Amino acid sequence: MEMLSVRQLSKIYGGKVPSRALSDINLSIEEGEFVGIMGPSGSGKTTLLNLVAAIDAPTTGEVLIGGRNPHKLKKGELAKFRRRELGFVFQDFNLLNTLTVEENIVLPLTLEGESVKAMESKVRDIAAKLGIESILNKRTYEISGGQAQRTAIARAMIHKPKFLFADEPTGNLDSKAAKDVMDILVALNRSERTAMMLVTHDAVAASYCHRVVFIKDGQLFNEIHCGESRQAFFQKIIDVLSLLGGNAHDLSTIRV
Amino acid sequence: MTFRRFAFNNVMRNKRTYAAYFLSSAFSVMAFFVYAVFAFHPDVSGGTVHSNVSTAMHFAEGLIYVFSFFFVLYSMSAFLKTRKKEFGLLVMLGMSDSQLKTMVFLENVLIGLGATATGIGMGLVMAKVMLLMAENLLGLDNTLKFYLPWEALGLTLAAFLALFVVISAFTVVILRGNHLIDLLKGSAKPKKEPKASVLLSLLAVVLLVGGYVIALTAKGLVVFMVMIPVTVMVIVGTYFLFTQLSVYIIHRCRSNRSFFWRKTNLLFLSDLAYRMKDNARTFFMVAILSTVAFSAIGSLVGFKTMSTNVLVDENPFALEYTSGKGETERVQTEVAEIERSLREAGFDYRKLGASMSDQKLAQAKHSVMVLRASEFNAIAEAAGEKPVELKENESMMIYYTNSMAGNQATAPKKAVLQAGGVELDPIGSKPSVTFRGYGDFYVVTDAQYDRLEHSSVRHFYAFDVKEWKKTKDVGQALEEKLAASDSRFFSIAYDLHRMNQAYGIVLFIGLFIGAVFFVASGSFLYFRLYADLPDDKAKFKSIAKLGLTDRELSGIVTKQLMILFFVPIVVAFVHGVVALTSMQNMFGYSLMTTSMTVLGTFMLIQAVYFLLIRGRYVREVVS
Repeated sequence: MEMLSVRQLSKIYGGKVPSRALSDINLSIEEGEFVGIMGPSGSGKTTLLNLVAAIDAPTTGEVLIGGRNPHKLKKGELAKFRRRELGFVFQDFNLLNTLTVEENIVLPLTLEGESVKAMESKVRDIAAKLGIESILNKRTYEISGGQAQRTAIARAMIHKPKFLFADEPTGNLDSKAAKDVMDILVALNRSERTAMMLVTHDAVAASYCHRVVFIKDGQLFNEIHCGESRQAFFQKIIDVLSLLGGNAHDLSTIRV
Repeated sequence: MTFRRFAFNNVMRNKRTYAAYFLSSAFSVMAFFVYAVFAFHPDVSGGTVHSNVSTAMHFAEGLIYVFSFFFVLYSMSAFLKTRKKEFGLLVMLGMSDSQLKTMVFLENVLIGLGATATGIGMGLVMAKVMLLMAENLLGLDNTLKFYLPWEALGLTLAAFLALFVVISAFTVVILRGNHLIDLLKGSAKPKKEPKASVLLSLLAVVLLVGGYVIALTAKGLVVFMVMIPVTVMVIVGTYFLFTQLSVYIIHRCRSNRSFFWRKTNLLFLSDLAYRMKDNARTFFMVAILSTVAFSAIGSLVGFKTMSTNVLVDENPFALEYTSGKGETERVQTEVAEIERSLREAGFDYRKLGASMSDQKLAQAKHSVMVLRASEFNAIAEAAGEKPVELKENESMMIYYTNSMAGNQATAPKKAVLQAGGVELDPIGSKPSVTFRGYGDFYVVTDAQYDRLEHSSVRHFYAFDVKEWKKTKDVGQALEEKLAASDSRFFSIAYDLHRMNQAYGIVLFIGLFIGAVFFVASGSFLYFRLYADLPDDKAKFKSIAKLGLTDRELSGIVTKQLMILFFVPIVVAFVHGVVALTSMQNMFGYSLMTTSMTVLGTFMLIQAVYFLLIRGRYVREVVS
């Protein structure tokens, strides 16, 4: 089943000198698929994510998530659509520091008005999967970056969304924490069959995906699929990146 | 670019960040200045108004100054907090400690100068508006004129320049303890969860309830004795109410999951605990200031209503005339003069007369007044009182009392007159408001009155006019004409007018002080809100991505603002009602209706204020 369908999507930023951030993007993501979006700075990755997640409005084109166009929903409906069907993970975690870890995780459910019992059992489940049971009562400033990102993932997944968007989730983490976060995303992708879209700079993180889409100057550049080995896939990603104008040598020294 | 140039540009090109601080400073200057214009008003300090009032006004001016000091100090620290990151950056780039301090000091002096000038400018306009309002709203006969307030100007300039220099020096102290890491992290550093002590929360309840009970149960003069302890109790109680009890209650709400985890409560309450703790001192100040304003205005308005009501109730006749002893001819011309004036002004009137005979007592040195029953009854009936019914040789003692004296009855007393040794043994005593000011007197039957010897008789005439309220001018003219005579003349309409004038100024000053405190506290809250806006915006933006409808967002913001705006005012309202009730117990006169009107008006203004700010704030956060 097709979870996401993007057709002829374009975005032009107005102003004195209009700039075309995205032009005529077509993209399709199936249920349970894990897709990475890569490209150099300024290529339009984040713009694409913002358009698909209905954070920003496209200039032309259409986005369908599970058959519905979020840009055609009213503001209130869109908010409900987001908190029922979508999950978000951000680079800077976006946790509320007035709340405990547990309260942060149940936030989308409280907005929906679920019963406390149901919320508690869901928190227990997801916390066990993500290995954050021991920090549930801590405050956000008492936990590490990796724990914070796992908390954010728990918050994004607690309502079992159909689609998860991740914007540079490993950008603020060291390699160990980044690996943990990616392992968790892969595990959740497998067990929950949630479709995921990951925007990243990080070739290691991208190598966890089923498929990586490359964007250059607002247009689709290339698309590669993961084969048998993640190591081989990682090498292929590095190759495409160097083709895109990066330097393979530079990139491979980031982490191996 | 010299260093001074840099500091100057920093202010000029960064107006938005500085706006809140600048405006709040300018506002305090304005409040102080407008107030000073009144305090130094030649009519206020020079005599029209009682000297106590003038002293009280200068005292209140001191209060405003203290208030301004904390207000500006607070705005400044909020302002510096938002700029910590910038300072951190400058230090990273190699700005020395003394350079940083110099820069902040220069900036503050610059803002201070600007705010003082702006505040005085706005104040001049405000003072004129207030004076106009005073004349029109309170019907004053141009008692307070606009004048060029040199004294007020000098005081304000000196006071605030000193204030800004002192506060600029404070900035150096505030910046001293900061390490580079703290500066760089700036306001992003999350705060610890607010904690409250159970013991102090309990103390707040005990103090408030205790204070209220004592205040409400005290009667009469006891009120006066318990006033200071109760005030101290309530002030301390209020302080702990905001700093401890409120946080404690929110904390309890948090631990109740079925409540805390319901819909937007999670967002609303978790923030509230921080806001409460942050704002506790502000709330405390606002609540106490508002209580003072409420009580002062409530009691002033109450006193005014009480005095006018008493005056009107006890003077049933428009004009009263009492002659001196003897001199019948002069009495005739003067009475004729009064009648002529009334006729010429076109009033229908009824003239009632009585002869008041002073009789020396046999034993004591003083004398008593004796009246004819028929004459007394006519006047009593016209005043709406019951006549006295006397049989042969009987008499009745009449005394005067009022609600302020507790309506105490006077027991009938025997009196033996010197002339003929006649003994007056009254069959009873009866209160009456007629012939007020002549002490207790006796009413005897007409026959007995005629039998008595009269050596000293005064004549009393009352003029009953239906439209007595319009007789002010006639009354004033007659009072001036009859001033030289040894007779007594009284016009209720003119007296009422004079009383209104006297109260008017005091009332205006009271209302003005109340308004200044009230507006000041409202602005205090507003500027606090303005300082929190960027954080709120960022927070709601990230929640919106998770799926928060605009309606839910505006609901959360509305609830929070409502608490910020109304909690201190409601506390002040309750304090005010208790204070006025206990004052009422002291005077034995109901101040409720009038004080409720005053308090209600303030609540209404606050509600309008709230609605305006809520609209703006929600729009800002949503955008």
